[in-house]
Amino acid sequence: MLTLERVTYRYAGASHPSLREVSVELRAGEVLGLVGASEAGKTTLCLVASGLAPRAAGGTLSGRVLLDGEDTAPLAMHELAGRIGIAFASPATQLSGVATTVYEEVAFGPMNLGVPRPELIARTDEALAALRIEPLADRDPAQLSGGQQQLVAIAGLLALRPAHLVLDEPTAHLDPAGTEMVATALAGLAADGASILVAEQKTDLLAGICSRIVALDAGRAVLDGLAAEILADPRLVDLGVAPPAAVRLRRAAADAGLPPAALARLEGALAG
Amino acid sequence: MDAARWTRITIGLVVGAVVGLVLYATGQVWPLAAAIGLIVADVVYAGLTLAQTGEWGPMRVAAGLVAFAVTTYIGIIGFGDFGDANAVDPSTFANTKAANSWALILTVSMVIGAVVTYGLELVQTGRLASLSSQFGTRTYLLMAVGIGVNVILGQTVASALKIPIYLDSIGTILVGVLCGPVAGALTGGVGNVLWSYVIPPPFQYQPAAAFAITAVAIGVIAGLVGRAGFMRPRPNRSTQELVAGGLVTVVLVGFLAWAASQAYTKIFQTKIDLLPDPAKVDPIFVVLGYVAIALVALAILGLFALLLVRRDLTAAYVVVAGVFTGIVAALISAPIAAGVFGGVTNSGTDFLVAAFRQAGADVYAATTGQGLISDPIDKVTTFFTVYLILSALADRFKARFPQGEQVLEEPSA
Amino acid sequence: MPSFLGTPGPSGVHRLNPLTKAVLAAVTTALAVLVGGLIGPAVLTALAVILPALAARILGRLLRTALLLTLPIAVSVLLVNLLFFPAGREILFQVGPIRATAEGLRFALETLARIGAISGAITLFYLTTAPAALVLDLERRGVSPRVAFVVLASVQTVPAMVERAVTITAAQRARGLDTEGSIWRRLRGVVPLAGPVLLGSIAEVEERTMALEARGFTRPGARTLLWWPSDTPLQRVVRWLLVLAVPLLIAARALGLPGWLG
Repeated sequence: MLTLERVTYRYAGASHPSLREVSVELRAGEVLGLVGASEAGKTTLCLVASGLAPRAAGGTLSGRVLLDGEDTAPLAMHELAGRIGIAFASPATQLSGVATTVYEEVAFGPMNLGVPRPELIARTDEALAALRIEPLADRDPAQLSGGQQQLVAIAGLLALRPAHLVLDEPTAHLDPAGTEMVATALAGLAADGASILVAEQKTDLLAGICSRIVALDAGRAVLDGLAAEILADPRLVDLGVAPPAAVRLRRAAADAGLPPAALARLEGALAG
Repeated sequence: MDAARWTRITIGLVVGAVVGLVLYATGQVWPLAAAIGLIVADVVYAGLTLAQTGEWGPMRVAAGLVAFAVTTYIGIIGFGDFGDANAVDPSTFANTKAANSWALILTVSMVIGAVVTYGLELVQTGRLASLSSQFGTRTYLLMAVGIGVNVILGQTVASALKIPIYLDSIGTILVGVLCGPVAGALTGGVGNVLWSYVIPPPFQYQPAAAFAITAVAIGVIAGLVGRAGFMRPRPNRSTQELVAGGLVTVVLVGFLAWAASQAYTKIFQTKIDLLPDPAKVDPIFVVLGYVAIALVALAILGLFALLLVRRDLTAAYVVVAGVFTGIVAALISAPIAAGVFGGVTNSGTDFLVAAFRQAGADVYAATTGQGLISDPIDKVTTFFTVYLILSALADRFKARFPQGEQVLEEPSA
Repeated sequence: MPSFLGTPGPSGVHRLNPLTKAVLAAVTTALAVLVGGLIGPAVLTALAVILPALAARILGRLLRTALLLTLPIAVSVLLVNLLFFPAGREILFQVGPIRATAEGLRFALETLARIGAISGAITLFYLTTAPAALVLDLERRGVSPRVAFVVLASVQTVPAMVERAVTITAAQRARGLDTEGSIWRRLRGVVPLAGPVLLGSIAEVEERTMALEARGFTRPGARTLLWWPSDTPLQRVVRWLLVLAVPLLIAARALGLPGWLG
């Protein structure tokens, strides 16, 4: 379980904090969605949750970040690397930049952690299999499509075998095909029981995989509840978040005075 | 910067200038007098800093500098005929011995200087904080980007443009300024070796590795320049300050322009063909060639714009840093160009070398003359480009680098 | 471990340990500078460049690449020294004020022999060695993983930045920005190119720092290697012998023993 307890975080040189008194909990086996307008603090929350802020990003943090009840403050970044993994929006920049094959790229994290070589190979094989990208193993990561690169990046995290995954807008820089690829992979991971915190603008994607959703506004957590309830919450639009297509369809149908039976048939036709 | 530090710097410079002038007046050659003057200035500054604030840092650097100078001097005396540009080897018609010994002496001296500086720190504090603080994930990544920038722009200029400058140290100087002297030195040295041996064509430039020692020196100087706060923005200064800064700039730039034009009128009777023929070179160099020319043109225009429009005094600091780095780089690389490559390194500088040769200079004197024209222009352009890059980056981004605080504008100013 | 990692290469030269080939290239370079004259560098080229290239069946490619890289420099060396050699007395021919001298020609040829040996040695090295193999080999021998990282990342940065430049140029052309036309118009066109290529690569450093640290990059000590090139005791001996040749030759020259080397 990953817990943020009344976390306030300010970047070095910034005039005001980017997170204010935020408390969020990611439970084991749960997929937690994070929504909010840009600059609402989604990326900052991901950095704090992964331990990168303040360790790599500098700045000042108050409040506590707990891993299974243990305060992470005394832990160094490389000690957290095997426990919390984080992926970012841009597929290319999160690759190591030194691997000439996908296989070596995926192995990069556990290599850094110094895991014994037989285990290194086992972990890499397993991570590639989990995302079904074994056929890419001998390809040059720089030559892959954005969606494929993102899958390689996520496989690189899985090879670290973290108990928690943090994904910061993993589909933001991807085309529809790449988004579909990553969405399928996330659904697979969620079904396997991974604990995932995913920040995302695309609420349709969240609707498919999340059990719970937190909404941020100006650095504060303003909504926190079951995914279906939050996504249908009318306040979401005021926070600058577009609800999923299904919610918008239902609202439009209600506004137009469509009978519920007709709406059900429409939804059935779209789903089928 | 606080007034006390300015006072220490001024006292150091005055004492150094007096010592240098006295030496010159008593018959020493001017490079020796100038070098001793500068070293005395630094030692005086470091001593005053130690006495007033108890900071050992500048004193350790000064000790390294003294060790460097003494080793170089002993090396020159030990090698005998060194320094006589006319000591031409009768079998090769080049001063190969002087060239090789110069490169060897400087390498040994730099190593000894670094060992003294960091050895003192290790002995005094038991740690190498000033060394390890220059490195971190950010530094390693910036070093890789810096090497890439060096290679790409340097190769473009060397292979495609017919202008006598290099533009192959933008990355070195950027890393030096933002991360520190050792990080800058490694960027330059490792980068040049890779440029020769590992980077595949069309970006491979085989002469580069021989000049790795020059790149190392450029990185060290850039690191010290950055640490001293030379690259801070100083906008909206008073007219008096700008006039003083402008005078220094104009005198230096004017002298360089005069020297360069003298050389040019000697060589080029016809129109100078600055740009490559697209039919003859790899097309990527045509595109990148324009980038490089644009950088030079921007540098010249920009320096004046900086002084006159933004009233930014840093323009003067950029010129001083560039000219100084250029002179050092020229003195180190000239013997290598002469001894290893016979004065021809397949770039725009070859024309200048040919001009000096035609005027009757031996290959060693020709490459030195060429370097003293090319390098200061090149390094002023490079420092200015680095200053532009720094101004385009967010303060929050810069502040996270080891010497990042030293490139930010001072709040009080 | 999958079989495609560390593929040994098509010939015995390719399969040599990368450090052996690196030492050979470095020592050849040093010897080419130390040994003067024409015969020394020619023998050196034959032994240290041509023979291994034949064994690796890459002589044609090696000559093409080395020529391509050194032809411009060779022409310049020849012309500059042939025509502008101040110490030259013996005049071969004269055109106006320019005199071609025999001494200049000899100096040019000696310089070319030296450059040829160096260029051949370097080309042989990189035609038969993958950079990653050399770096992993050095890391296995105790070179810091940080140094290995900087070297490999630099090698990959060059094509990445060129690709970025090409992409942005194409995008600008698509938007109607002039990349043909007069020099001034073209210069204006590259200003928006230089920015994104230079600044983009630098600005990425922040995000890449985060990504690397999240993957345990800052852990002190050695990392586990997935694969490394093989080595043999014989190659170790050869490497030491090659390295020893340099001080031996310096000493020999200082004592003035082998006159034929001059």
